[in-house]
Amino acid sequence: MFKLIAWKGLAVLVVASLALAACGTGAATTTAPTQPPQPTAPPAETGGFTSKPSGKTTAAGFECPEPQPRMEVQSKDVNLFVWTEYIPQDIIDCFQLVYGITVNRDEYSSNEEMYAKISKGNTNYDLVQPTDFIVSLMIRQGLLEKLDQSKLTIMDNFDSNYLNFAFDPNNEYTLPYQAGTDAIVVNTDKVKNVPQSWADLWKPEYAGKMVFLDDSRAVIGLTLLTLGYDVNTKDPKQLDEAKAKLAELVPNVKLFDSDSPKTALIAGDADLGMTWTGEAFLAQQEVPSIQYVYPTEGAILWQDNYAIPTGAPHLDAAYAWLNYSMQPDLFWLMLRDFPYTNPSKAALEYAKTSQMSIEDANGNDTTPAKLYEAYFNSPITNTPPQAIQNGHRIDDVGDALPLYDRIWQEVKGGS
Amino acid sequence: MNILKRLRDKNSRRGLWLISPTLLWMIGLLIIPLILVVITSLGQRDPDGNVIYTFSVNNYLRLIGYSFNAPCGDTPPPCFDDLYITILWRSLVLAFQTTVLVILVGYPLAYYVARAPARWRNLLLFLILIPLWTNFVIRVYAWIMILRSQGVINNLLEAVWPVILPVYTVLYNLILSPLSAFLPLHLSAPGAFQPLEMLYTPGAVLVGMLYEFLPFMILPMYTSLEKIEPALYEAAADLGASAARTFWRVTLPLSAPGIVAGTILVFIPVMGTFIVSDILGGRQVILVGNLIQRQFLDARDPTFGSAASIILMVMTLIVTIFYTRRFGFGEEIASA
Amino acid sequence: MARLYDHHTPMSNRRSPWLTLVSLLVYAFLYAPIAVLMVYAFNSSRTNIVFEGLVNQGPCGPFYWFCRLSNNHEVLSAAGNTLTIALTSTIASTIIGTMAALALQRYHFPAKTFSEVSLYIPIVIPEIVMGIGILVLFSALFRWLNGALSLEGDRRLALGLGTVIVSHIAFSIPFVTLVVRARLHGFDKAVEEAAMDLGANEWITFWRVTLPMIAPGVLSGAMLAFTLSLDDFVITFFTNGPGSTTLPIYIYGLLRRIITPEVNALSTVWILIVLIALLVTQWLQNAEDPFRAVRILARAFSPLFQWLRPGR
Repeated sequence: MFKLIAWKGLAVLVVASLALAACGTGAATTTAPTQPPQPTAPPAETGGFTSKPSGKTTAAGFECPEPQPRMEVQSKDVNLFVWTEYIPQDIIDCFQLVYGITVNRDEYSSNEEMYAKISKGNTNYDLVQPTDFIVSLMIRQGLLEKLDQSKLTIMDNFDSNYLNFAFDPNNEYTLPYQAGTDAIVVNTDKVKNVPQSWADLWKPEYAGKMVFLDDSRAVIGLTLLTLGYDVNTKDPKQLDEAKAKLAELVPNVKLFDSDSPKTALIAGDADLGMTWTGEAFLAQQEVPSIQYVYPTEGAILWQDNYAIPTGAPHLDAAYAWLNYSMQPDLFWLMLRDFPYTNPSKAALEYAKTSQMSIEDANGNDTTPAKLYEAYFNSPITNTPPQAIQNGHRIDDVGDALPLYDRIWQEVKGGS
Repeated sequence: MNILKRLRDKNSRRGLWLISPTLLWMIGLLIIPLILVVITSLGQRDPDGNVIYTFSVNNYLRLIGYSFNAPCGDTPPPCFDDLYITILWRSLVLAFQTTVLVILVGYPLAYYVARAPARWRNLLLFLILIPLWTNFVIRVYAWIMILRSQGVINNLLEAVWPVILPVYTVLYNLILSPLSAFLPLHLSAPGAFQPLEMLYTPGAVLVGMLYEFLPFMILPMYTSLEKIEPALYEAAADLGASAARTFWRVTLPLSAPGIVAGTILVFIPVMGTFIVSDILGGRQVILVGNLIQRQFLDARDPTFGSAASIILMVMTLIVTIFYTRRFGFGEEIASA
Repeated sequence: MARLYDHHTPMSNRRSPWLTLVSLLVYAFLYAPIAVLMVYAFNSSRTNIVFEGLVNQGPCGPFYWFCRLSNNHEVLSAAGNTLTIALTSTIASTIIGTMAALALQRYHFPAKTFSEVSLYIPIVIPEIVMGIGILVLFSALFRWLNGALSLEGDRRLALGLGTVIVSHIAFSIPFVTLVVRARLHGFDKAVEEAAMDLGANEWITFWRVTLPMIAPGVLSGAMLAFTLSLDDFVITFFTNGPGSTTLPIYIYGLLRRIITPEVNALSTVWILIVLIALLVTQWLQNAEDPFRAVRILARAFSPLFQWLRPGR
């Protein structure tokens, strides 16, 4: 008798769970978010930005500038969901000191990871940093809020080359953050024959010595390039060929790392591989024999952007963060900590002319002007026009996405 | 009618009241989630990574590797692609290897502590507890520092290389070089020091696992070894048994419950692990845990990930049930 | 230590020197990584790959990395979260688990077998399966509730401290129940009956007689729940959200960036805390009145709890 009740109970549970699952898939109705307050000052001019001190200093000794303009914020927290190793600690500390808002930072190391968490709809982030190709997917899925341009004071700071891309016309949803390339990185002390093309990486002499980004689109993309195909192909036959070719490469890769690939290069666990601009630049600082080679088939060009996910709980804090962290007298810190290609003309101008004395990552004295010099003169951060022309951008492939996902899974799982 | 009568019984009511919060938690956070996972596993993935709730066993078929219309390498469809079976098998093998290693390495220590004089026993036990209570992410990180190309082991080897080199040269020329014609030994010719590539290999993952779970095995084994009366050893010795015989006929059988309990405490977590293989394996060693984690994070196929979770759970349950049927459940878990 | 040529100690008591050697090697194996961790916490090299000598920077000298740690708000908030979660889930799961143990050991009721089986499941399934399950549950539940109740902004239900605590309670209850049941197993009801004969009602009997007698078991269960929660990675990994980072998750996050000796400093501090906690536990276990000892401890630690309160 009891058993009957038990089975009925279980059936009720199953039905309830089904109902729950079914209800859960219905799109959540989005009501208009609470309007963040208007900034009181007019937008800053790009030329001749004057920094004002706020009187606060971070624990590392960096003097925080005053926010221009200072916005009125009610929220006590802001939740960032960002790439690992992408925001200077001084910027976070300054924001917390100057506004008194706690910064909660969660990190991811691939766009797919970020998309998976955001699309589930059970997290409360205020800002994310999607790369170009995933922005269109997120817009299509209704995962991003439209930006209120009147709240943003920094839009004029950006070089127009980084604005108005096809993935987000008129920058309705995103702001540029950093740009860069994926190319070959080599420790020329350890590797005698420096590879010149993506195809060279398949050579058996490099087996067991390579570090690759754990990035499915980039790695499959470069494989497609070696076969002469487009990085954004949707042709299943071409993708099958790429899968077979990639399957030959994967056993030769010592490790996949999108968190901090420079660590393996600096530590000597890997001698060459494929990585991003900033990682290569930082690795070169530690080990000068590390070089960045733009492959003959063409490097992969990308741009990371800031965006606000729908349902963000602290919109006012999000806008305050955007305006403050990308202010010219703060945004130049990227040159010191995470040197990628910087889309903010104003920040670069500020760095170029600033003579303030600061410490670089290794504790040596330098000035922002010197950092700018190094940035400008390096072919890593200042991508040569030839490389840009030859380069390829990854795009949303829509329906063909599952094909790419499966290739990645199957190729990495089967060694 | 029977139920209602039992409900009116004060004992039953009291019992039900006491168990109700537990039931609430277990049903809410265990049973319902598991049911949801099963339901999700029977769904399909749409091109953008969302779940379509249908009834389809495609995910399970994919796990077994049965392919309807796509070729498996050179074989035309329908065919079997052993990709995921390989991953499942790899996890089983690793779990098995870890368990065996942990027993072999841990048993001597457990025996030593169990037979130590009473005043030392607490201290020795305490020394085993400290690594156990240290956070396991920290312990995995420590192995990176030891195994990497410029890590502690390679630094030590480099330091003593001038001493080792002559010995190695002799060994190499006389024995190892001719041998490598028959065995797959990857040895570099004697000369300048070449760091051993230990990190980001399956071996590193195994060592990491061994280190993580060693205390989990030592404690139950110690508990049951400690219960063995010293008088039994004396009796065996009086009857003329050698040390080996005593071990085989007396110690080992009596410590079996501890070994069983330890195996359960080790085997199950190893089957589901993903952190150790992620960090020490360089994202190259893919176990079931990694597969599941990746499905939910990167590949955005929660249906496939759910199917893999169910298969993992079923496999673990089968092995556990089979094992406990044969060897008992081991009450030492409670005292561990 | 056993003497090598020992003709006086009976064979059964002689310990082989080989055994001692092997045991020492295993101890060395257990402690080598910990030693390496602690030594590198004093490394002067920021990239922390090779030990380049003792660090001597800033006002703290050799303890430079430890000082940086104390200024690191993220660590402190993670530590605060970890403690909050551990304490809350321990208290809740101990109470619930003890109730369950009493129910299962002494009463018969419908759903008894179901309860027993469902309490064994978390012990025998891999944590990742439970983590995934709970994630799927919360995703579906929150999406539905947020839509149905039109929750917005800060009031939106999302992964965070609450979901982590609830999940920790879920996996702790079976272990507490197991331990307390083991203790109840040999319990002699005669004492309870004597108390009731003397006029005590059921509640007083429980509080003044039963509970003190099973106290060691309950405390053991509580300690077990506390450890499980403190150390948990997998379940927290799938159920946490912004602002609810725990120390294990934070350390994992640090491992994903360039690893400075600060991580080692954090590890060393953790190991020392564990050492102290274990010593305290030993003292508690040997104390005659464990509850009084707990009260003394709580009073001693209250300034620490104030300091670590999240949101400082």
